[in-house]
Amino acid sequence: MTNDKKTLTDQVPSIYPVKTKIQVTIIFFVVLAMYLTSMIWTQSQMAGGFTGALGNMFNVMKNFFPPNPEVISAVIGPMLETIQMAIIATTVAAILTVPLALLAARNVTTFKPLYYITRTFLNILRTIPDLVLAVIFVGLFGIGLFPGILALIIFSLGILAKLISETIESVDMDPMEAMRASGGNVFQTISYALIPQVLPQYVSLVLYVFEINIRASVVLGLVGAGGIGLILNQQLQFYNYPNAMMIIIIIFVVVIVIEYISTKIREALI
Amino acid sequence: MIQFKDVGLVYPNGTVGLKNVNLTINDGEFVVIVGLSGAGKSTLIRSINRLVTPTSGELYVDNEDILKYRGKDLRKLRTKTGMIFQNYNLVKRSSVLKNVLAGRLGHTGTLRSIFNAYKKEDVALAYESLKRVNIADKIYNRADELSGGQQQRVSIARVLTQQPKYILADEPVASLDPPTSHQVMKYLKKINKEDNLTTIVNLHFIDMAMEYADRIVGMRAGEIVFDGPVSEVTEKTFEEIYGRSIREEDFRGGSEES
Ligand SMILES: Nc1ncnc2c1ncn2[C@@H]1O[C@H](COP(=O)(O)OP(=O)(O)OP(=O)(O)O)[C@@H](O)[C@H]1O
Ligand SMILES: [Mg+2]
Repeated sequence: MTNDKKTLTDQVPSIYPVKTKIQVTIIFFVVLAMYLTSMIWTQSQMAGGFTGALGNMFNVMKNFFPPNPEVISAVIGPMLETIQMAIIATTVAAILTVPLALLAARNVTTFKPLYYITRTFLNILRTIPDLVLAVIFVGLFGIGLFPGILALIIFSLGILAKLISETIESVDMDPMEAMRASGGNVFQTISYALIPQVLPQYVSLVLYVFEINIRASVVLGLVGAGGIGLILNQQLQFYNYPNAMMIIIIIFVVVIVIEYISTKIREALI
Repeated sequence: MIQFKDVGLVYPNGTVGLKNVNLTINDGEFVVIVGLSGAGKSTLIRSINRLVTPTSGELYVDNEDILKYRGKDLRKLRTKTGMIFQNYNLVKRSSVLKNVLAGRLGHTGTLRSIFNAYKKEDVALAYESLKRVNIADKIYNRADELSGGQQQRVSIARVLTQQPKYILADEPVASLDPPTSHQVMKYLKKINKEDNLTTIVNLHFIDMAMEYADRIVGMRAGEIVFDGPVSEVTEKTFEEIYGRSIREEDFRGGSEES
């Protein structure tokens, strides 16, 4: 009996092949080495090192307090503009995403060239950072909300279409076959067998991108794309730190509230 | 009437699905196609509604060669041939009623169907079909709340709502237990008799084939190796079709009551 057991455990293979183990170990150490070098490097680049930077930060931070509550009434307008910007951009992107996501889903777009073209197009969209887009559009259309909205649309389209096309690709294809087999055309097949399967995910992703857009629209404002970011940037440039601090607090609260609501809705959906 | 004339099908990867198939299925028949896994049963049945397309020969449905059909013709052909699948192929998140109404897609305009603006008769027909398979009390349940047997009955109701001329059933009972299998086969048989719907069923259980078929077609390696009325079929016939001796797993067993 005991003898049997012994031979049994002797034969047990390891869960991963030896080759995989060696590979993973090597990769682990390479990554670790990269972390260490970059840490040491940045330390030496920073004037006065890490401790000097901390002291400097503390001095600057002092200027921000106390925040100035008088600016609240003046920044409500720009704050609403920022939210509007996110809402408009998310809505437009959510609509444009539908055809793009369908074209970028291998199981729906069986015509290979069209699928690859759409995929490549979406990949290119995603490689351009939203800030770069905003700078370009501000250059083209001048300071204001419009270039910001445009930048956000393109930015969120890249993320949304990619994520939703992947949702579409993971869908159960059996009902789609049944719709085709009963004489349904492409649009009927999509609306009966595909949409019910991806709708909850779609709504959830759109809300998620909306959350990202609220934050992104603040940042875009900093480069001249309108809204609260623009005001914040002005206050910072005039060294009006108490005003800036109040604006930052407002942004913080608004972002938290919107994220909370959106998360609750998304939880209810899935 | 469905006529295969020298039909052959080679899949893009070179696998031979069908070879020299000659077969005529008359209106109102209940034909069971038997054969081992990989014999080409699904390929044969899916050729009839062009879910796969034969690469040679001619295939006539109601005296029209369907192999050249595209677009609208194809959808009309599919409206005429209802299909039942092994995995029921319902939209799991949709209600039973909505699933059954999908049977009307081929008869309904795109906009009307997308906005669920079905004609009163269509909804009545869907409800009537659900009653025929005894599942009308579940119309507002989500499809994935039903048992396998119930889901297959919903898919039969979907086909009934389609009002096809032919029913193609690809292993309709392979995912069900013996009593439920018999129940589903009985519904198919009843519909075949009552509505005079030509029915072609793929099965690989000998006892079920013998119990429900009028006529048995045997396939092996893409070819038809037997074709005759059920009265001419014995266990020896199955041994010839399968190319091996009969085993216990070739029988479903049980009955509706057990
Ligand atoms: N899409 C496909 N591409 C390539 N080969 C295929 C394809 N579909 C089926 N085949 C092959 O064609 C042959 C016939 O398959 P088919 O599905 O018609 O058999 P079947 O009799 O229905 O088997 P089963 O009882 O397992 O469902 C098999 O060898 C199978 O591997
Ligand atoms: Mg099959």
